[in-house]
Amino acid sequence: MLDLLPEWMRDGLGDDAAFWIGYLTNGKHLAWYASFQFTIFAALIGGALALVFGLVGASLKNARFLPLRAVGDFYSAIVRGVPDVLFFLFFPLAFEQTVEWFVSSRVCTPDSIAASVAPWPPCPQANWFLGTTEYLLLASVSLGLVYGAFATNVIHGAMRAVPQGQLEAARAYGFSAAQVRWRFQIRQMWVYALPGLSNVWLLLVKATSLLSLLQIADIVLWADRLGAPNFLPAVGLVHPDWRWRYYLALLVFYILVTWLSEKGFEALMRRAGRGVLAEVRR
Amino acid sequence: MEVILNEILRFAPAALFNIYFAAASIPIGFGLAILFAFGKGSKNPLISAVSRGYIYAFRGSPLFIQLFMFYSLALSMNISTWKPMGIDWLVLHPLFLGPLVLVLNTTAYTAEIFYGALRAVPHGELEAARAYGMGPWQQFRSVTWPHMIRLAWPAYTNEVVFLFHATAIVYFALPVIGEQKDLMIRAKEAFERDFNAYLHFPIAALYFLAVSLVVFFVFGRIYERLVRHLERAPKIRFSPKWLR
Repeated sequence: MLDLLPEWMRDGLGDDAAFWIGYLTNGKHLAWYASFQFTIFAALIGGALALVFGLVGASLKNARFLPLRAVGDFYSAIVRGVPDVLFFLFFPLAFEQTVEWFVSSRVCTPDSIAASVAPWPPCPQANWFLGTTEYLLLASVSLGLVYGAFATNVIHGAMRAVPQGQLEAARAYGFSAAQVRWRFQIRQMWVYALPGLSNVWLLLVKATSLLSLLQIADIVLWADRLGAPNFLPAVGLVHPDWRWRYYLALLVFYILVTWLSEKGFEALMRRAGRGVLAEVRR
Repeated sequence: MEVILNEILRFAPAALFNIYFAAASIPIGFGLAILFAFGKGSKNPLISAVSRGYIYAFRGSPLFIQLFMFYSLALSMNISTWKPMGIDWLVLHPLFLGPLVLVLNTTAYTAEIFYGALRAVPHGELEAARAYGMGPWQQFRSVTWPHMIRLAWPAYTNEVVFLFHATAIVYFALPVIGEQKDLMIRAKEAFERDFNAYLHFPIAALYFLAVSLVVFFVFGRIYERLVRHLERAPKIRFSPKWLR
């Protein structure tokens, strides 16, 4: 990295600064910086899916047909009733197993099942190997499912907070039920839902630190590797146990993300609340 | 059926670890949170800034990273500090370090809840208390505290349940010593042995659900006691609507 800088800059830096720039831009550290993409990807896709599941869940909870309402209530109650990490681990593993079970019912012969010694999958041909990409996608979906249950509750409450008079007026103008829902209820709901959705988003961002539990080489795993005590000059800088410094850096990263998200949601709130904000805040 | 019953019995000792983590950290966090809530509302700019910073830092970062950071910090100070003092067996033990980090974490969340409630205490009542010549401690005891705790209780109930859920990740960051395994570690190990995700994880979930329900029930009864002087809210009516 230092070699990329022009001569005069390298000389002006001084040995100390040059040393730290060299250390912080060695290959392992660059891999660490690159691994932030997994966290950001999981947060963005998970957040988008959580919003989708939240809207679906809230519609189910508002449904006229009892079984659908029951599904919506069950989803939001059960998923919020168990720890996020449990569902986060369970969903990818269970999904993988279900797929393998379906595959095994097609490709496995009685002979291959009898020959297989491992408890799972039934035969080696049915094994589905999951790499980082697959686990990342599954992790994003399970983040979406977990926090979608929270979003369901928020959106459900916000849809009921929309003044009835607005909807009545829309119906009086001859809008159909679907039009009233999409053009009035969901349009006006955001200003009531945003404070709650902001909380859900912050919870989701913090849950992205769990990616390493699914064998993804994310920022937490790299921080652990880079900070571990090193006594071999060939491997890199010789240093004692520096892990807490790396975790502190991650802590600061998450606090910064929280701060940025808060600013972002404030701006969204200003935009969603044009004309109604004073009424909502009262 | 027998398989499920056996599984439930095998997980029972593991659930005790989660309950221990929660039970050890909630009372201490409760006490500290009151201090930090008053600190955040304090007129002294230094105390206010420190409390604000503390609450923001611990609410803005994941518990998982906090656990890792405090554990590695304790590890790196082991030879220089804990070993000479002869307390390394205690400081590095997950049954001590886990509740310690959980206390730090829940203090921040609870303090924020209490601070919100503190700001909602009716101003007129405080003025009346001052007019009666009450000292600060008397004001706190007879006006601020009853209002604050009643206003904060529903949110605090949720925080307690969340903290109990958060105990699930303690042993993913801290070392597991011998048979001291909590529900998640037990479920993960059982899964790695026979790859039966549909059995082990739902049983662990069942324990979390059951304890959450107990917490909701107990805290709901306390809440009823806290609001018993208020005009009775309309009772919840069971009115099934099969098709709305």
